[in-house]
Amino acid sequence: MRSTATASQSTPAPAPAAGDAPLEARQLTADRAAQLYSQLPAGIVASVVLIVVAVYALRGSNYTWVVYGWSAVALAVTAVRAVLGWLYQRDRDRDDKAERWIRWLAVGALASGTLWGVLASLFFELQNDLEHLFILMVLGGVLVGGIAMYAASWSIYAVYGAPVVLPFTYGLMTHELELLRVFSPLVPMFYAACVGVAYRLNTLFLSGFRARRSFRKLNTEYVILNQRLERQLEELAQSHQQVEESGRKLALFVERSPVAVFELDPRGRALHVNPAAEALFGYAGNELDGHAIADLLFSPERRPDVLANWRTLLRDRAPITRLRETTPRRDGQNIVCEWSLTPLVNAQGRVISVIAQVRDVTQQLEAERLKQEFTSTLSHELRTPLTAILGALQLVNSGALGSASPEIQELTAVAERNGQRLLDLINDLLDLEKVESGKLAVELQAMRLDELVHEALTLNRAFAARYKVHLEAAGRLCDSLVRVDRRRMLQVLTNLVSNAAKFSPEGAVVEVTLEERGRQVRLAVHDRGAGIPAAFRSRVFTRFSQADMSLTREKGGTGLGLAICKRMVELMGGRIGFDDREGGGTTFWIDLPKDA
Amino acid sequence: MPALQRICYVEDDEDIQRIVRLALERIGGLTVDVVADPGTAIERMVAFQPDLVVLDWMMPGIDGPTLFRRMRDHPATRHLPVVFITAKASERELQELRALGAAGMLSKPFSPKDLPGQLRAIWNSLGADRPD
Repeated sequence: MRSTATASQSTPAPAPAAGDAPLEARQLTADRAAQLYSQLPAGIVASVVLIVVAVYALRGSNYTWVVYGWSAVALAVTAVRAVLGWLYQRDRDRDDKAERWIRWLAVGALASGTLWGVLASLFFELQNDLEHLFILMVLGGVLVGGIAMYAASWSIYAVYGAPVVLPFTYGLMTHELELLRVFSPLVPMFYAACVGVAYRLNTLFLSGFRARRSFRKLNTEYVILNQRLERQLEELAQSHQQVEESGRKLALFVERSPVAVFELDPRGRALHVNPAAEALFGYAGNELDGHAIADLLFSPERRPDVLANWRTLLRDRAPITRLRETTPRRDGQNIVCEWSLTPLVNAQGRVISVIAQVRDVTQQLEAERLKQEFTSTLSHELRTPLTAILGALQLVNSGALGSASPEIQELTAVAERNGQRLLDLINDLLDLEKVESGKLAVELQAMRLDELVHEALTLNRAFAARYKVHLEAAGRLCDSLVRVDRRRMLQVLTNLVSNAAKFSPEGAVVEVTLEERGRQVRLAVHDRGAGIPAAFRSRVFTRFSQADMSLTREKGGTGLGLAICKRMVELMGGRIGFDDREGGGTTFWIDLPKDA
Repeated sequence: MPALQRICYVEDDEDIQRIVRLALERIGGLTVDVVADPGTAIERMVAFQPDLVVLDWMMPGIDGPTLFRRMRDHPATRHLPVVFITAKASERELQELRALGAAGMLSKPFSPKDLPGQLRAIWNSLGADRPD
């Protein structure tokens, strides 16, 4: 199913375990590098400003050239640090190489700190108080400013600050003025305090990092969850729409269907009734809703049978089709309906409801009855005059009443033959009508088919002789017992044998074989006729079909014989068919189950 | 076992009457009394004393089976073997005939040429269990 597939696709890759230390350390380093390098531009600007101010402040002293030289080196170092920052920003893999970038930054910090330390050591050479004050301010400024720059790493700050303060402290300690010597421990103390602040800031940075990280993780999970939720909502909306659409379609089908449709609960109560059902039984929908259909629509006499069928349906959970029941309408009129019941079974195999489709077949049955009555009457009305016509002609042709002229004999023979054809047609029509309306009763009895075959051959020899065709049993006929209706089986055999004779060339032999094939007996009639044309093969067993209608006139026959044979054979539990015969001609066969 | 000689034929259709009479008399050499009105049939049978009675199944007014039942109720015709001729030959009707004790049944349209032979065959098959 589509939605399941999508759902499994949307499952995120497993999130990194919370205690994935190396990864966290790498992320921490990368974050630290990013933090440090983000402060670098401000540091560089501050350095350049300080260098320029220093040159300006100290240009009049007796160390002007030393200051110039220092500033050149200081600008070069600053430029290198700027390039370092630029390279860092350009590096796509900077997060993976964060440690190296931090090392380079530390080197830069050391170099920059050393430069400021060198500048501070000029303090002892200068004579001017203002210049002294300036140096002290620069010293304090770079130490305090460094804290902001290197807050992400207290160790880099320590590396940076040490070369700033150490030469100056040494200078103070060894100075000839006692005040300065006494003052000297204050500088390293100040440095230590600054490192302490940097350390605290570093801790803050770390907890900030962890908070950011947790937040990022949460955020990522939230985003994934959100996306998944969105997708599921979308799918749900789509499914909902599909269900709604098919529901609408179904409702439309049911509402507009000319067939009455009920949805019934397992206790047989109407859950839903369509307009056709209301119209068919003459009830308003609300009179049917919630009521047991068996009580409402069936007479008390029919109810036990109806309920038995219902129980079968619930037990077998299989559809029941074309169940005919006479039902009183609300207005008291009886109608005959054909019910098709289809259980709706859930995944647990329980019947949740039953769809009943009901078709009114009253008129259809009435039409069938009228047709039968008509056929029956017609056959009688036709047969009575035919009896007189054929009887009279047969008497004349028998010669029992004296002989007529050859022309008269010829004409009465034509009249008799055609009268007989008419009779055959009526008989065939009646048979077919009986078979198709289910009125043809077969009385099955166990008998030897070979004896029946011999009888059929004897009966039809005279007929075959008219076409100069000989009928014979080929080989030994097996003597298996089959269950057939004697009269009907003889009719089928006569039909097949006389057909074979009619369509055989003069002088040919029609052979009949009978052999066992496992649990079946195969009876086959083989002719040497022209065979059955390809275009006609599918219609051989349908009514009024002869391959060539001109043959109907030439050979007689109604085109109903094989249609009747097929239905009769099927009524007796057999199968009929035909094959091309090797060497020309056709074999018609009948398979019948052996009597157990 | 005497040979079949006298036949009483009850049939309302004049054309069929004529054909059957001709067939039975000319081909079969039998003596035939044809009765057109089933209402007078029993009287005629009492007078004619046939060996065998042939009844048409469908007749206006009194049909074959009704007449047959009346014959069974009449002491003079009770013993007479009856053969029905019918155009309808449904299984149900055949069973009905057997239940009535009919000697045989011939279906319409019959072949007049074969009719005497068919009636003789039925007559002969009755021979074994007839008292006379």
